[in-house]
Amino acid sequence: MPEDPKTSRRGALTALVVAGSAVYAGALAVPAYRFLHGDDAGGGAQKERWIRVGKLEALPEGKPTRLSVIGEERDAFNISRGKLGSVWVMRKGKEVRALSATCPHLGCSIDLGGDNKSFACPCHTSRFNLDGKAEAGPSPRAMDDLGVRVQDGFVEVDFRRFRQGVPNKVEVG
Amino acid sequence: MSLGDWFEERTGYRAIVREALDEPVPGGARWAYVWGSALTLSFLVQVVTGWLLMAVYQPSATSAWSSVAYISQNVSWGWLVRGLHHYGAQAMVVLLVMHLGQTAIYGAYKKPREMNWLLGLGLMSLTLGFALTGYLLPWDQKGYWATKVATNIAGSVPLIGGWTQRLLVGGAEYGHLTLTRFYTLHVAILPLGVLVLLAAHIALFRKHGVTPPRKADLSRVDRFHPKQLARDLLIGLVVLGIVFALTLRSHGAHLDAPADPASDYPARPEWYFLSLFEALKYVPGHFEWIIAAGIPLVAGGYLVLLPFIDRKPGSSLAARLVWLMPLLLGLAGTVALTVLSMRKDAADSEYQKARTLAEKRAARALELARGGVPPAGPLAMLAADPQTRGPELFDKHCASCHKLGEHVPPDGKVTAPDLTGYGTEKWVLALLDNPDAPAFFGKTPFAGMMPSVTRPPKDPDAAQYFTKMKPEEMKAIAAFLVSEAQGKSKKGMPGEKMVRERCTSCHRLDGKSDDPESLAPELRGWASVRWIEEQIKNPGSGKTYPPGAMAKDLKGHMPAFQDELEAQEISLLSRWLYEQATGASPH
Repeated sequence: MPEDPKTSRRGALTALVVAGSAVYAGALAVPAYRFLHGDDAGGGAQKERWIRVGKLEALPEGKPTRLSVIGEERDAFNISRGKLGSVWVMRKGKEVRALSATCPHLGCSIDLGGDNKSFACPCHTSRFNLDGKAEAGPSPRAMDDLGVRVQDGFVEVDFRRFRQGVPNKVEVG
Repeated sequence: MSLGDWFEERTGYRAIVREALDEPVPGGARWAYVWGSALTLSFLVQVVTGWLLMAVYQPSATSAWSSVAYISQNVSWGWLVRGLHHYGAQAMVVLLVMHLGQTAIYGAYKKPREMNWLLGLGLMSLTLGFALTGYLLPWDQKGYWATKVATNIAGSVPLIGGWTQRLLVGGAEYGHLTLTRFYTLHVAILPLGVLVLLAAHIALFRKHGVTPPRKADLSRVDRFHPKQLARDLLIGLVVLGIVFALTLRSHGAHLDAPADPASDYPARPEWYFLSLFEALKYVPGHFEWIIAAGIPLVAGGYLVLLPFIDRKPGSSLAARLVWLMPLLLGLAGTVALTVLSMRKDAADSEYQKARTLAEKRAARALELARGGVPPAGPLAMLAADPQTRGPELFDKHCASCHKLGEHVPPDGKVTAPDLTGYGTEKWVLALLDNPDAPAFFGKTPFAGMMPSVTRPPKDPDAAQYFTKMKPEEMKAIAAFLVSEAQGKSKKGMPGEKMVRERCTSCHRLDGKSDDPESLAPELRGWASVRWIEEQIKNPGSGKTYPPGAMAKDLKGHMPAFQDELEAQEISLLSRWLYEQATGASPH
């Protein structure tokens, strides 16, 4: 039976209205999505960023020292020099090691344990040994190792940030 | 024709008002029905106080904290408005539990009210969204670290985690855009959501009416006005009274120190999320999202499904107990975990220590902010504050050798003069008496270089010519040196004459000394802020000690810090050191 022309016109109009609404919503949603998410591909490895954090000879032997990382960073529309974070630096003879002070669990700032023989996160009680290895608590991985070098008697750290709450060390930036 | 009649003719408003006020309440007005209205009234308080806060608040990483500190400390009644908003939010969480509990116990989620139950759950999620987003807005330590944890949890959810996190944070790192996004959610999107859902919630409630208890006498019907309305308003007033009382008791909401990404901070969420926080400690590895996102999801799923699984007609509580069990168990678990978390923190001395330190920082930051914060932000303000930065710099750069009061080398090995009391009479007198004491030069490469004025030298030949200095002469020298430290020296002080006679055989005074080879320092301006500054910059510049004091063979001498510290830091450290050592403010 041939379709009633009235009904089919109605159906076509309905389809048009639906399509039109979708176009209307999309015209707002797509720019909104691009606006909020930008071209952000989710980080990946960043360029090296060596930042001087302190003098080598001021570091006590074998005991980790928390050093602030002060550098220039862009925050949206501002560029300023300020605190980017902090690192735990430890000297053993000539060897220097730097570990990010950001807990790989959920990003709290890791402290030295009361006994000075381990690291402890004050939030969810993750514990790490002085090499940064996770020993107890919920942390999914070891503390994040950072590149470190000594130049003219100063300790410099290649400051980077990593994703939290995942077992692998994935850089974000 | 009265004005009311005129208006009625054009709008028909009387019917609307009557419709609103004369709503029948079958079974009679009840106290049990007040919670929804109390919630709506509390939301109004949040709206009004929120508008007021918006009139001052600035969402940016450099100004958010300052504007909130300004509201709390400078704006007239600002502490009250912010306090009402803060405690009002907590009141809403409590009222939510009451409202949900009442609805569940009365079985008011059952057919045909399922949709309204769902709308209520939507409103509950929005309210928790308000709580989460609002916590960050002051950009203080508490909000910053807690929200970092919250967004990291979101980020650890497989597949969509990283994407969601970047959407919320506005990039990879916390900053301006995190604040503007949370702010937009808090003041525009969530309120709009509440408005829409609340309108629908109330409309549906009106459509279906109350759910009276089973034994209610349904022949009795009250009108909403005045019996129920009066009850609702009274509870609303009581809640508002409690919110006022809490605000007055603590003089508004607490504000922690400004967010500092390089600091250590024991992050804790607001009390109503403590149970989740505590649960996170027990989940191994990368599964925290199962707890943090999964528990709310399972709990939410249960609540959503409740009206569809408990379908037996009738509202007998006993018959429905099996379906309400998860709710009761969930509540009990939440309370237990919350109490456990609080008790753990109360017994944790490390946590308490960190908390005390955080409170100290907060108090100092607020004290400074009272006089205004520079546009570079509160962290820049604190970095320029001797009282905050001084001890940090001293611990990092000086306390590996020097002692000053409670600031001691981490290994306890003091290898440089004890600076406690440096620049005071007591310190000078003790030095003159025994320069080689461990607290002075005894443990430094300068040991044996300065003779005592009271003890004969060990060498018998030199001892022959030794005359002990009289106490009044020592006091005169000390008085002169202390006045130099304070910048208060006057011409012709007896001590100055004595220094010229007795000390310049080695020491310099105005650059002159009988022995140019000697390593003894300049005494003009000794221990003053300027002198300390020069000494920190370069201890061999001649302005304090001569270049020989930096000789390579003089192992363990003080290093120069001019390359390591910025000029502002040296000046700030010197001022702080002077104040700490002498207990006086610099001249």
